[in-house]
Amino acid sequence: MLEKSLVDSIKTIDSLTQAQQLALGKFIDKGFPTSKWEEWKYASLKHLNERNWKWSPETLSVNIPKPAWKHSVIIKTLNGNTHSEGTLPQGIALLPVSEFMAQNPTFESVWKVRNPILDQNSLYDLNEALASNYAILWVKKGVKIAEPLLHHYLVSGQQDTAVQSKIFIYLEEDSEITWFEQQRSESSHAILSNYVQEIWVSKNAHLTLIKDQDLQQSITHVDHTFIFQQESSLVDAFTFSINAAYLRNNLHFYIDGPQVVSNLNGLYVPGEDQLMDTHSVVDHRMPHSESNELYKGVLMGNATGVFNGKIFVRPDAQKTNAFQSCKNVLASDRATMNTKPQLEIWADDVKCSHGTTTGQLSDEALFYMRSRGISKATAQTLLLLAFVQQVIDKLEHAEIRAELSEKIVNKIQASLGLTLL
Amino acid sequence: MLSVKNLHARIGEKEILKGINLEVHAGEVHAIMGPNGSGKSTLASVLAGRSDYEVSEGSVEFFGKDLLDLSPEARAAEGLFLAFQYPVEIPGVSITNFMKSAINEIRTYRGQDPMDAVQFLKMFKEKMAYVNIDQSLLSRALNEGFSGGEKKRNEIFQMAVLEPKLAILDETDSGLDIDALRIVAEGVNKLKTPQNATILVTHYQRLLDYIIPDFVHVLYKGKIVKSGNKDLALELEERGYDWIISALD
Repeated sequence: MLEKSLVDSIKTIDSLTQAQQLALGKFIDKGFPTSKWEEWKYASLKHLNERNWKWSPETLSVNIPKPAWKHSVIIKTLNGNTHSEGTLPQGIALLPVSEFMAQNPTFESVWKVRNPILDQNSLYDLNEALASNYAILWVKKGVKIAEPLLHHYLVSGQQDTAVQSKIFIYLEEDSEITWFEQQRSESSHAILSNYVQEIWVSKNAHLTLIKDQDLQQSITHVDHTFIFQQESSLVDAFTFSINAAYLRNNLHFYIDGPQVVSNLNGLYVPGEDQLMDTHSVVDHRMPHSESNELYKGVLMGNATGVFNGKIFVRPDAQKTNAFQSCKNVLASDRATMNTKPQLEIWADDVKCSHGTTTGQLSDEALFYMRSRGISKATAQTLLLLAFVQQVIDKLEHAEIRAELSEKIVNKIQASLGLTLL
Repeated sequence: MLSVKNLHARIGEKEILKGINLEVHAGEVHAIMGPNGSGKSTLASVLAGRSDYEVSEGSVEFFGKDLLDLSPEARAAEGLFLAFQYPVEIPGVSITNFMKSAINEIRTYRGQDPMDAVQFLKMFKEKMAYVNIDQSLLSRALNEGFSGGEKKRNEIFQMAVLEPKLAILDETDSGLDIDALRIVAEGVNKLKTPQNATILVTHYQRLLDYIIPDFVHVLYKGKIVKSGNKDLALELEERGYDWIISALD
């Protein structure tokens, strides 16, 4: 439960619509998640109920070096405000969602009946209440952009600033983009970064979604990404969780048409005092679709990792192929990993499999390498890098791959005090 | 170069080596034979430094140094090499990267400068040609998806690159067809010099048709119970181990 003073402070926020007030009411009733909530068992945020939150973060402006790509546009979401710098490619627009809905009344009716699984996700309610004026990236029919669009997400502020950010990505039929999102912070103070991303992928559209989560040790970051896929669409999602005190990913896929392919790739490398929790949902609602999940984790120091992977195959979703794999290496005897695959299958003609492993580096492999003259530290480094590389190598864009690879390698080496010759 | 004296080793409570004595000099080939469970592979593992085994008694000197005091990587840097009976598959680590790390760490241990990429690749390709191994191996992950024969050939290739003073081949012939066996044996013979030595650990005599040993030792219940020249291996092939064992038991 929220402290009374906190309830009072949040109620002073004025000019909320009826829908926002409804969402706010839900949040106030529930408060921040505690370990008593099944979905937040290992990732309690109970202590946030007692903080004196500042609900209106300051306005930010930052300069970010432009990427060397052809469309060197940067879309920035700074403390919840989204705008673009540079010229967006032809056929792509960034505008307030209200404006978009006014222009597309038929879409609004479709959007309203979307049906995500929210459980007791009070942080989603909080975001809905306070992140009202969010932006939409609108990719028009048939528009295909090979070069990635860079999205720079940033939170900053004083102690106990609560930032609500939201962005909506709408891919029309036959369109194709790569969305490369750098999630960052600029503050050594405790900040709550509560981010919702909703994505609509129309028929035959193709989205590559890459999240590079590298925030400071003072940040509690919750990322809710809900992806709705229509017939014959393809989504390749990548989540690289590199740094933050607390990092929670709720990544949900709703498969609403046949011949859909959803690929979920994730890599988390928490170190000392870090918690990283992935809750994925793949909801197969229509037949003849396919989902593939590959998650890997390296847990160092006294890190805590959580993976909960839900796969639903609804009665109509015959001929579904759903695969899930989650492999973890405990690179420290103080680290813990909690895994829970959860498959609920109502259809009978499906292929589903899942597997989770958590262990240490193989003694046999380490001895083999050492017997060739490779020191134990180098052998460990080589094995860990090979382990994470499997996820990184799936990135098609060479520069992004190189950038992320270097960052992750550095993080692992620094956390374990290992270096390669 | 190698002097093993009264070596005892155990795994948990079980004593496997019960007093091994063995002297190996430069230029020699020793074959260690014996029935299953006699301790042959344990001896190879203990010499290479596998931590599963505890040495409870005895000593091993390698060029005058206390081998048992060294880490597995230091033993390799001192010139010891173990060709594994079951080479380990290491997905994601290429053979090139693996051997480059090995070479450069050994060079650092010996106070030499690391090899640069060009030098390394040149040497690497020469060795491949020398032991007759396909260059497509270079880019593959270490032993991943290799056939039994490819794994063993890869061991011999690593041996060619590292140029050990003492190579211990643990059941290198197991699981090999006759062609693969011949290629592996040719590799070992080519790498033989008057300065290095080889210990062949094997159950069967057939490898010894290709690599002629100077000495043959029979290991039984953790001890060397009989030593001889290459004729002993032929006799074992003909008569089995029973005649030695029954004379003891």
